[in-house]
Amino acid sequence: MSSELSHERVHYLDHLRALAMLAGVLFHAALAYSPLMSGYFPTADRQNSPWVDAVVWGSHLVRMPLFFLIAGFSAAWMLERRGAGGLFRQRMRRIALPLVVAWPLVHWALSASTVWAARSVENPSAVLALVRYLTELPDPPSAPITLAHLWFLYYLLLFTVLHWAFRTLGLARYGERAIRGAAAWVLLGLPLLVAPALATVSAPHPAPESPLPQFWAIAFYGAFFALGAFVHGAPDWLTRARALAPWLIVGCCALYAAFLWRLDAEPPGEAHPSASWTVALLEAFLSVWLTVLCLLAGQRLLQRPSATLQYLARSSYWVYLLHLPILFALQYALMDFELAWPLKFALAGAGTLALCLLSYHLLVARTPLRRFVG
Amino acid sequence: MKLNLPLVRLLVVKDWQLFQKQLATYVLAGIVALCFLGLAESWAFYVGSLMLLIVMVAAACFSISTSLVVERKEQTLSFVMSLPVSPLDFTISKLAGNLITFAVPFVILLGGTLATVLLTPLPDGLFVYALLIFAYILFAFAISLSVAMSVESEGWATFAMIGSMVLINPYIMALAQIPDIDQRTRVDAVVWTLPAVGILISLVVLSIAVLGATTWFHARKPAFN
Repeated sequence: MSSELSHERVHYLDHLRALAMLAGVLFHAALAYSPLMSGYFPTADRQNSPWVDAVVWGSHLVRMPLFFLIAGFSAAWMLERRGAGGLFRQRMRRIALPLVVAWPLVHWALSASTVWAARSVENPSAVLALVRYLTELPDPPSAPITLAHLWFLYYLLLFTVLHWAFRTLGLARYGERAIRGAAAWVLLGLPLLVAPALATVSAPHPAPESPLPQFWAIAFYGAFFALGAFVHGAPDWLTRARALAPWLIVGCCALYAAFLWRLDAEPPGEAHPSASWTVALLEAFLSVWLTVLCLLAGQRLLQRPSATLQYLARSSYWVYLLHLPILFALQYALMDFELAWPLKFALAGAGTLALCLLSYHLLVARTPLRRFVG
Repeated sequence: MKLNLPLVRLLVVKDWQLFQKQLATYVLAGIVALCFLGLAESWAFYVGSLMLLIVMVAAACFSISTSLVVERKEQTLSFVMSLPVSPLDFTISKLAGNLITFAVPFVILLGGTLATVLLTPLPDGLFVYALLIFAYILFAFAISLSVAMSVESEGWATFAMIGSMVLINPYIMALAQIPDIDQRTRVDAVVWTLPAVGILISLVVLSIAVLGATTWFHARKPAFN
């Protein structure tokens, strides 16, 4: 199976990556209607629903971990096929360059639309009201510099460097040994390894948007990246993990109910600046188990080539890069409309996806840009 | 004299492979140091900046020590002399190998440090100060590399490495005595003062001059000695 994986395209991973990226677009769209985020998210609408919280935080626990797991798998695959030089060149072309080009554009677009909304929207969110207050000061402070949703590119570069360092120092052998043992060891051990990282930040865990590396994000997402790289070396691990899937499903249902209950009791804020150990452990187990379940489901259901999914996979990188400025602009524009929140969510989500896919079709699909972001 | 570029490349790759493990350690330590800086706490700033200094000094010394001093001790030069390689090829390969192995952590950590200063609540005035510190490390590296390439004695090479790196302490103290530099470190703006620009340019020019003079000197040698 290892050689099979080395020489053939692993369609289900492409498809899962595409679905994870697209889930990101819907996740960001849904945050505007999350009661938990109403005080923190710029596009937070007047209307919200606890049903949004009940759904989005589950996807939050699995979306980016799954993405990093696939990235780790791909890095190990590329290292095996093209060597360290090939991997480095690919990362420069596909990650570093798009990050350097897109970052200032995204920062400018988000800042411009937020300042416009702060001045124009009649029903602003708490964040917009604060921005309005700050921009009206005689000496307004400049907007904080963050990576916004492009932080994942930054961490991908960081993990590529760490991957090289760990392999060079021979530290990967401990993980390789663990992955060759019983699947249950990883499924129980990995959550315990990442739980301390999650206990240092608020729950649900924030996006590590700072341009400086964060310990918790390296430990949390890095663990999934490493798991992906190890699974590439021992693909039979998934077969062994499959036997535990029914237990994982039952466990995830119970843990997610407990997580939502604790989240309601310990909402993020001044009273709970970081997650309690209980919540951190729940998040850790859910992240690992849900991610593995998604991988197993993908292997079972998505391995067959599909024209639609392949198109989405090819466009997903561009869509993800572009989506947040468009989404914010649409949601700011919708804030004053008297529409039900599901309709606003559908309009903003569908509008963003449509514009992103259209721009992909016109600007990327048949142009040299596809080598970089296609 | 014409360079045997394929052989120079092989010699550089050899040094890179020998130095890879140490380099990986320094890069790991450097990332940990940057994470400390990213915590934006005063204790973490001191731990992080101290770690960065240690990593940079160690990276500079180890690269020179591994590729020149240890190699000389282990008689690797005798083997290299049996290859179709001229003194110029050898000099260029040593220079390039050391510059690459030093530049990788140097550039990553310099970029990380400057980003830390600009993107955290730390005063932006530290931007120029950080550049001055890194410029000194570059200068000390250039001196150490030149001495190690030019002298046969392991003792003198070690003395040059330790001496130039330890002098960073009085250098930092001297910077603190210059009001135009010291006072600006507490201001939340990047301010280029004449003394700061003068020191920065001097250190960079001197580093290039030292390395250039060493290369020129060795390029003129007709044979290994």
